[in-house]
Amino acid sequence: MTPLLLAAALLTSGPVAAGPDAEASAPNPNAAPTAVALNVYPPAVHLSTARDRQSVIAVLTLSDGTTRDVTADAKFVAADDRFAKASVGEDGGFTYHPAADGVTSVTVTYEDQKVEVPLTVVESGVTPPVGFRNDVMPVFARSACNNGSCHGAARGKDGFRLSLFGFDPAGDHFRLTREQSGRRLNLGVPERSLIFEKSTGAVSHTGGKLFEPDSEYADLILSWIADGAKDDGADPATAPPACVSLDLYPPEFALTGEGTTQRMVAVATYADGTDRDVTHLVAFNTDNPITAPIDDAGVVTAGPVTGTGGAEAFITARFDVHTVGVPSIILPKNVQFEWPEDKTPANYIDEAIYSKLATLRIKPSELCTDAEFVRRAYLDLVGVVPPADATREFLENTDPSKRQALVDELLEKPAFADIWVMKWAELLTIRTDNNVLTGKEAVLYHRWLKEQIDGNVPVDQMVRELLASSGGTFDTPATNYYRTERDTLKTAENVAQVFMGMRIQCAQCHNHPFDRWTMDDYYGFASFFAQVSTKNSDDPRERIVYNRNSGSVKHPVTNKDVDPKFLGGEQPDFANDERFKGRDRREVLAEWLTSEENPYFARNIVNLVWAHFTGRGIVEPVDDVRISNPPANEALLDALAQRFIESGYDLKGLVRDICASRTYQLATRTNPTNVADTANFASAKLRRMRAEVMLDSINAVTDTSEKFRGLPLGSRAVEIADGNTSTYFLDTFGRAKRETVCSCEVRTDPNLAQALHLLNGSTVHDKVQRGKVVESLLKGEKGQDGAEDIPPMEPAEVLAEITARCLSREPTDAEKKALEEALAEGEEPKAVLEDYFWAVLNSREFLFNH
Amino acid sequence: MQQAARADQAFFETVEGPAKGVIYIYLPGGMAQQESWDPKPLAPAEYRGPLGTVKTKLPGVEFGATFPKTAAIADKCVVMRGFTHGEAAHERGTHNMFTGYRPSPALKFPSMGSVVAHEFEPKNNLPQYICVPGQPNEFAGTGYLSSSYAPFTVGGDPAQNGFKVRDLSLPNGVDDARFTRRRRLLDAVNDHFASTESDDSLDAVGSFYDRAYGLIGNPKAREAFDLEKEDSKTRDRYGRNQAGARMLLARRLVEAGSKFVTLTYGGWDMHDKIADGFKRSGPDLDQALSTLISDLDERGLLDSTLVCVGSEFGRTPKINNTAGRDHWAKVFSVLMAGGGLKRGVVYGSSDATASEPDTDPVTVMDWAATVYDRLGIRASKELMSPGGRPIEIVDGGTPIEALLA
Repeated sequence: MTPLLLAAALLTSGPVAAGPDAEASAPNPNAAPTAVALNVYPPAVHLSTARDRQSVIAVLTLSDGTTRDVTADAKFVAADDRFAKASVGEDGGFTYHPAADGVTSVTVTYEDQKVEVPLTVVESGVTPPVGFRNDVMPVFARSACNNGSCHGAARGKDGFRLSLFGFDPAGDHFRLTREQSGRRLNLGVPERSLIFEKSTGAVSHTGGKLFEPDSEYADLILSWIADGAKDDGADPATAPPACVSLDLYPPEFALTGEGTTQRMVAVATYADGTDRDVTHLVAFNTDNPITAPIDDAGVVTAGPVTGTGGAEAFITARFDVHTVGVPSIILPKNVQFEWPEDKTPANYIDEAIYSKLATLRIKPSELCTDAEFVRRAYLDLVGVVPPADATREFLENTDPSKRQALVDELLEKPAFADIWVMKWAELLTIRTDNNVLTGKEAVLYHRWLKEQIDGNVPVDQMVRELLASSGGTFDTPATNYYRTERDTLKTAENVAQVFMGMRIQCAQCHNHPFDRWTMDDYYGFASFFAQVSTKNSDDPRERIVYNRNSGSVKHPVTNKDVDPKFLGGEQPDFANDERFKGRDRREVLAEWLTSEENPYFARNIVNLVWAHFTGRGIVEPVDDVRISNPPANEALLDALAQRFIESGYDLKGLVRDICASRTYQLATRTNPTNVADTANFASAKLRRMRAEVMLDSINAVTDTSEKFRGLPLGSRAVEIADGNTSTYFLDTFGRAKRETVCSCEVRTDPNLAQALHLLNGSTVHDKVQRGKVVESLLKGEKGQDGAEDIPPMEPAEVLAEITARCLSREPTDAEKKALEEALAEGEEPKAVLEDYFWAVLNSREFLFNH
Repeated sequence: MQQAARADQAFFETVEGPAKGVIYIYLPGGMAQQESWDPKPLAPAEYRGPLGTVKTKLPGVEFGATFPKTAAIADKCVVMRGFTHGEAAHERGTHNMFTGYRPSPALKFPSMGSVVAHEFEPKNNLPQYICVPGQPNEFAGTGYLSSSYAPFTVGGDPAQNGFKVRDLSLPNGVDDARFTRRRRLLDAVNDHFASTESDDSLDAVGSFYDRAYGLIGNPKAREAFDLEKEDSKTRDRYGRNQAGARMLLARRLVEAGSKFVTLTYGGWDMHDKIADGFKRSGPDLDQALSTLISDLDERGLLDSTLVCVGSEFGRTPKINNTAGRDHWAKVFSVLMAGGGLKRGVVYGSSDATASEPDTDPVTVMDWAATVYDRLGIRASKELMSPGGRPIEIVDGGTPIEALLA
């Protein structure tokens, strides 16, 4: 997928990127946009054999970044028109068919735009037989015969089973031809075959009529049966070439106005280098069926959009084992939009974000106030609300670069590391339990992790040490990674999910329908962990993790051992390649995982960090990277990952960049253009504090402490080593139990129990009393060890102090008045102020990071 | 965009149906149908298992031998013996039985309890959807619906002496007057934030505070959580154990106005020594369940309270070599009673070895549609999921006519 070119087009023509000189020529937003480029897809037309054809689209890009499908109005002229015939279908599709072998080019013209496309025709006189693998199987997928709700179900449907999404063509062929022999296929009279009669609706079929008896799909099936219904892939030596890639065109588009359309074209490329138009054979999908529905022919129609900002849709096509997708934008008609000039990007992060926002006609929010920033920075960087003094100092500081200075200061606090130790402990599921870790193992493992983060060990290095670890769970604590999960397949799934952000679980049993992963990929990846074993140590409480140099995993379809293969990468040759010979498979994997050959590692880490600071991943959820769940901003994710790699995987540098961006510093308050946007970081997101941070903050402002199992009194909740150590408060507010690696374990959803607990429970009420904050502020304090005395405060001053501690701001008039009224009722100030303290701790403003 | 979608959303007004409340008794792990509601006394020994059977009140119908008391009230129950969904992994089966949907990688579905909370306003200040003792699994949550429809969990174990739902009463030293003052101060602080910020997540917190105030201020609602208010004869009758206490609490909550109470009991994943497992966990369930149904009936509440006893799947037809049974989702049994269903019906059957449905198979969708129908919810109604995509409450199920009273 390419970064959004559209946005660049808009920005360069819009006021933001235009310098003073350009201002005079800046486009009038009310003027009609002009054409800037014409593209024809596919970029080259290859026709081979008489059965081939190629549909073609012409897409015009306008100066405002939008696109139009101009196929119907464009002129297609071949330099030599003997080789291919053009046809226009009933639905307006434009298609070339082979006529004679030869090479020429087609000139496509639309208004003043012109583009040339090469056209090649070979073997136009040859009509190859219909093959099972490349012709018939796609019909099953296209007609949804092998979907999970139909014959692809594990036990089939109505007595007939196909492999789910076609992961087992040989098995499907067997079931069609050998099960209930002669019933499903009638070689003598193909039209009497049950699969034909069922799919064309000639006999009753739960799935209904799938295609017409005179359709192309029907033809394919009938010809295949008439030719003897052979499996052309049965013998690997003569098997037809496999499909190696799928391309979907146009690579991106932006429609304006309800009812406008864009036709898609899908082209499959095979191992022998040939390609083929498979637009009629792919299964199309849209993630936004209201705004951008797509029909079976591959035509996307712009739906209704309310408001002024654009809506996004991701269009995917599935064919064979491939799924590909393109991003699209649907804009309402006649929206006037001008990029606000005062919002200049602070760094590369803003540039990527703004580019996307401009395309969507969305303006970012204003910057947050200093008071909001200091609180947000403390909560995100060190996991606690700022002390009142620190807030005051920050607010009084007039240095224009004070925000950056504050971030730098917080980065050096030990508490910064604690936050990331906690997050990694969640990803590594550090918790004691029977058959998981013993207390000592968990503590040592956690200590090892803390040493890595405290020492700012680059994350790639840490992950290599972790995954390749061998030795005792006490003396080499990283080996506990292989104790928290002992199943080979689950270990592989966890590694993919934690370090690459991918859920490959589906591919354990069938090829992933919404992603690229096949069962071969899955078992090839799992095979890296097939030789991990454990044995007893001298210490009966300790186990030793070691590489036993033998063992493999079996593919459930072929029942053969699967050799290790990098996920989405090469197959390392352990037998012959000197780089891998005789080495621990895990070591080889860890090197690849953290190398630049693997594009997912750095992207995943930066996405995790980004999500921590903004409340939402660029890929969201952060551990569900898949083709059908594209990043909200590819350019941003790419830029962050690139910088991160160049910096040597420096976490602090990454955090510095994020915090320096205008995007991180935006207010949560919205404007009319970004009010509906949730995915593009056009405003800051209100985030309820996570359980640990909330408890630590309550303890900090009330001067109280907590005792967690296994930790000294006064330790903070973010420091808890063991996922199994918890409190009612932490459980109720959604602390991760670390039972799985899923990012969904941390919950910040509200519920009734939380409200009741803050209102009536021990945490707020007791701590306000126990910490005696109000009491000592009212009384004043004798200075100890030569320090100055703290004079007694008036109730109004105590009110200000509580507000500053908890909310990092001055009290409002309404709050002062409410206090005065309560005091006027004759109650003693201590009780009233403690009630105010209670009220502040129950307020939304306290519970949320904003 | 969202508005446009809503226009196309299939909408049906939810009006209260014959069932005013549901008690969903969930038996985690996958309870064997052979040892409970669908024994196979005539199957070969390795299929029928070692426990034997007991005759029920219904002529010709037998239950597993550990359930004599439930057998004696079988004439008040519905047993579906052809239940099937084919998902033999715990989490997938559990997902089906809590949401009425097959798991999807693309969408998190709400639990039936959360859908009910979405469809009905709280009554008598009680949460519409309550889990006893806690939310049993991730699928019992809100899925794509707002977290405002999350279950209220009672927290502790109702079977323990002195069990109290935490945080229901004002803390010591805070009387109503002081609480009112606190709330006035809290409003002053919240008003400031509300004047500049607006977000669904804030509203959700606010709505739970409002609900909490309602609950705290209503002693009758609070008493619904208090088992001490029940006389000791009734407590003994239910059984002073986990099964008994949880079911008694569920009855109190539904009686007081809660709409959907989910409770779990025991662990039924009996891969080994299934006979021992049933002897251990069966009797308490038998006593509590039979008491619950009889007690509801005596109070005139059975026809307005739907009791469902479900599990993620059944177990293998054959006893395995560790004297247990493994996961089996092709056919199993679900027991229901009351709430506008007929009484004394055995619906559907499995084959001779409890391997496949024989007659009248019941899908998860049909079952869920039946439960919703009795509550007054049309299963084909569509709710809005993220991205403005309307999703049917149940995908394609139809209420089982033969069971409706």
